[in-house]
Amino acid sequence: MNNDTNVKLRLSNSELWGGLIGLALGGFVVWSGLRLKLGTINDPGSGYVLFYTGILMCVFAGAIIVSAITEGGPTLASRWENVRWSKPLVLIACLTAFAFALEPLGFLLSSIPLMLLLLRLIDPVRWTLAIPIAVLVPLGMWWVLKRLLLIQLPSGLFGIG
Amino acid sequence: MDTLVNVAHGFGVALLPINLLYCFIGVFIGTLVGVLPGIGPISAMSLLLPVTLSGTPESGIIMMAGIYYGSMYGGSTTSILVNIPGEAASVVTCIDGHQMAKQGRAGPALGIAAFGSFAAGTFALVALMLVAPKLASLAIAFGPAEYFSLMVLGLVVLTFLTQGSMPKALLMACIGVVLGLIGLDSITAQPRLTFGRMELIDGIGLVPVVMGLFGVAEVLLNTEQAIKRDVINTRITHLLPSQEDWKASAGPVGRGTILGFFLGILPGGGAVISSFASYALEKRLSKTPERFGHGAIEGVAGPESANNAAAGGAFIPLMTLGIPPNVVMALLLGAFVIHGLQPGPLLITQNPGLFWGIVASMYIGNVMLLILNLPMIGMWVQLLKLPYNILFPLIILFTILGVYCSSNNVFDVYVMIAFGIIGYFMRKLGYEPAPLVLAFVLGPMMENNLRKSLILSQGDLWTFVQRPISAVCLAFALVLLIAPLLPSLRKKRELVALDEGA
Repeated sequence: MNNDTNVKLRLSNSELWGGLIGLALGGFVVWSGLRLKLGTINDPGSGYVLFYTGILMCVFAGAIIVSAITEGGPTLASRWENVRWSKPLVLIACLTAFAFALEPLGFLLSSIPLMLLLLRLIDPVRWTLAIPIAVLVPLGMWWVLKRLLLIQLPSGLFGIG
Repeated sequence: MDTLVNVAHGFGVALLPINLLYCFIGVFIGTLVGVLPGIGPISAMSLLLPVTLSGTPESGIIMMAGIYYGSMYGGSTTSILVNIPGEAASVVTCIDGHQMAKQGRAGPALGIAAFGSFAAGTFALVALMLVAPKLASLAIAFGPAEYFSLMVLGLVVLTFLTQGSMPKALLMACIGVVLGLIGLDSITAQPRLTFGRMELIDGIGLVPVVMGLFGVAEVLLNTEQAIKRDVINTRITHLLPSQEDWKASAGPVGRGTILGFFLGILPGGGAVISSFASYALEKRLSKTPERFGHGAIEGVAGPESANNAAAGGAFIPLMTLGIPPNVVMALLLGAFVIHGLQPGPLLITQNPGLFWGIVASMYIGNVMLLILNLPMIGMWVQLLKLPYNILFPLIILFTILGVYCSSNNVFDVYVMIAFGIIGYFMRKLGYEPAPLVLAFVLGPMMENNLRKSLILSQGDLWTFVQRPISAVCLAFALVLLIAPLLPSLRKKRELVALDEGA
């Protein structure tokens, strides 16, 4: 790792960010444990294990932060160096859109566009192959689940599926 | 004599046509996911977990077990022919297996991998039959303190063996425990971390978490790079190893089998670590260690036997103590729980048909795998040419459907997508998901046993040290926690660290 990709006390240090997120989560778990009541050591309450797990999280996150500051760590940008970072980003966007569309549109109307997008955007499959796969696979799965296994899939506002 | 009667009873269950079918489906899918790089047994088992709901507990668990040990067989094919490990336990096989294939000896490499795996699988099953009932009768003496300490040891071993820094792995384990505690407190029925959402009252499901972290995140990571495959195109002949090959491989198969079986039993251990350990052992024992890395058949025979023996050994802590030693076994525990069964010391006596049926089916599965992996090798080679740009969207669709069908709840699909995205960023930042998943499963059991032991001992923490089994487990865990602080042991840990998620 060269000096550009291995940094110590800088905001771009990815290890530092990982540790800080861990610390914040640990703090939240400690607070949640306290709110749920710790009980006593003879009779531990609902928050007992959460509280001590939260403390352990803070300790481990602290160790990550100390190591990030003393030994340095790769920058956030270097984690995505020499990879096609746009591909997972597109996939995440498609999955998020699908999550929002699933209930209002139903399984069929949301999964056919999802398949088409994935087939065309990851490593483009030619249209003549992508369209039949995108339509027939969800349709086939829907038929098997709904008709054969009697599993009710979301049909959305339009009642399709 | 009792064992023989039980084995006969087990074969009676395993040979039922429906169980034979499930066993075949399991080993077929196992080989398939083993052959295809990018999808491991964890993804496949999580994908098929909902399917187990439709049949009897025996059928479902026979299928899930088949996927696991089937993937160990299939993984070697990709390692040898393409130089890409089909799953994590086959990483070592790439080193000498692919070199053998390049030298025109793909047949003997595949042959010895299959025969070695069969021998190891058979040994592991016989040992499982003999050890499990004895250990189960001992396990009845286990109290909450012993269970708690054993689970702590399991988690610490896994974090010790996980790639990357130990604090990161321990942080992941703690997050797993917290996620496992979401929902109603089993003792006071108080809702915890539910944020007022009714969907979280029963906690987060194992299926969406595992499918997200291992299925969706794996696809996200794989799309970052165009996967290049260098498939050996020559015709694969001479699958039966020669007499010289057998002579060279007999020792490594035997040693790999025994080593793998014992490493498989250890909590947190498993197939991956045993294959690495076997390779290192064979190289150290060899009179010509310089041949390793250049096509030594011992480098294929040892690790392949070890990972299959470990797959069998890993069933022991699950079946006898109810504690999953690794993530795959945690999923199998999920399958048991779905059917209202609790693996543990009483399983063998209360459900002998189930236990012995599963064990017998594993033997039948091993025979099926031998047939699937040798005469039908050409089919798997063709499958290696399946384009990933079609495979990945299909995996995404199947994971969505798998999660939805497991609970009939759209909320679980959201959870899976969220964990997929979180899992991708976790991996990018060097945080492995395996400790999180194991802790997620063990978390509620650990809490329960900790609280029970504190109540029983009236708050005396010495109870964990005064009980010998508990004390030994905690002492081992402490040694492993301190070990990375010592530079020499830190280096050793980095050498054996493994990528469970692969």
